[in-house]
Amino acid sequence: MDDLKPDEVLDCRGLSCPMPILKIKKALANLSAGQVLEVLGTDPGTRNDLPAWAKRTGNEYLGEKEGSGFIHFFVRKA
Amino acid sequence: MAVNSPLLKELKRGYSLVFEKQWPPLVGGLLIGLLAIMIEAWSRPWGIVAGIRNWADWLFYGVGLYAQKPDNPFLFSPSVMDLGLILGSLAAALLAKEFALQRPPKLEAVKGLVGGLFMGVGSSLALGCNVGAFFSPLVNLSANAFLMMIGLICGAYLGLRYILWEVENLPSPSPALAATSPKQTPAVNWKMAHPYLGALVLVGLVLAAHLYGKFSYAEAGGLLLFGAAFGVVIQRCRFCFVRAFRDPFMTGESEIGKAVAISIIIAVIGIAILKATGLRRETMYVIPAFGWGSLVGGVIFGIGMVVAGGCGSGTLWRVAEGNMKLWIALFAFATSNSLMTEWLRAWGIRPKLGSAVFLPYYLGWEGAVFLVIGIALIWLVVLAWNEQTNKFTVEP
Repeated sequence: MDDLKPDEVLDCRGLSCPMPILKIKKALANLSAGQVLEVLGTDPGTRNDLPAWAKRTGNEYLGEKEGSGFIHFFVRKA
Repeated sequence: MAVNSPLLKELKRGYSLVFEKQWPPLVGGLLIGLLAIMIEAWSRPWGIVAGIRNWADWLFYGVGLYAQKPDNPFLFSPSVMDLGLILGSLAAALLAKEFALQRPPKLEAVKGLVGGLFMGVGSSLALGCNVGAFFSPLVNLSANAFLMMIGLICGAYLGLRYILWEVENLPSPSPALAATSPKQTPAVNWKMAHPYLGALVLVGLVLAAHLYGKFSYAEAGGLLLFGAAFGVVIQRCRFCFVRAFRDPFMTGESEIGKAVAISIIIAVIGIAILKATGLRRETMYVIPAFGWGSLVGGVIFGIGMVVAGGCGSGTLWRVAEGNMKLWIALFAFATSNSLMTEWLRAWGIRPKLGSAVFLPYYLGWEGAVFLVIGIALIWLVVLAWNEQTNKFTVEP
């Protein structure tokens, strides 16, 4: 995951459920298929919500990486 | 014992499954249903709002606004349950290394405040929140819960419309947390100590309950532990009534909604047994809000919980997790509920909110229990159907 080059970074730090998912949905809408979105977040709930949401919507959840005080999430638009 | 003995591995796996990984929502639904029966068998139904109102009452009593001294928060049963819930959630969050102080951006802080105010006003009209005016009365066969459910669904829909509008039209909050992000890793990583602190909180809770018993307050001590058990379960499952009502409109996702439906089916059977056999007073938690109080209060509360991002129970466990938006929401929720309740009393409106309707008086025990189970099943089926078809999902 370390060599993933995101096409766009979305800062959701400090936001809690449901704001990250709604913002991710909007950010993905502006990307084209195959592009990767990196999300910075602090809400532990996103750990479960994002993979579940990606599965439902057919997008590909690539995984997460621990940052200093926040988490990096990666999702690829279908 | 060898370091990689199968037993040690199994224990590690078990520990991670219980204390680190999220529990499936359905497990939460089963446990909440069982706990709701047990707590009522022990003492009283589960509730939230009267406890946090008690804390706000103390604040207003302290500054001289109220003349009457409020109940002792360490003995007043709703307050003890809430303390247990917060401490139980705190322990669970620490054990899972999910505790972290989260500072909200400005807009989120305002939403916490406004959402909290709505929840305070709504819950004073409905005489409770999603727990005390919906879940607990529903499984206690009180008719007000149906109106509250309708109110909550409408409120959640309206709150969601606002949030969707906000995402489309308001500029994204600037990364207000930039100040905290380039933080150097501290010399001591406190996060490593969190699980031990969490275990300490759990031990403290058991000790406190033991002390309650020693001073012949065993009932309160038990409520503290039941509150803590609710706290652990809802934190581990991220069990959230907001999601149950909101997500069918938002993403169509309905795992939590189905879990709430399951918990209702379990609890209503157990509690009907307690009441029908005379172990508990029939009219326990039959709330005199069957009328406009539940309906209007439910709508207002529903809007508030979606905007704040936490309901009665959901606010408390997120407070324990370090989410400071919900700290603001809790403060606004408790204080506005306390003031509004005083005003409703002073103006003589409180008795006009609605009437207490105990379903078995009209439908018989069987009819009442089957009605509640039927509604939970219909809800479950509608949620499952919507999950496939997205019929109710709002597309911004």
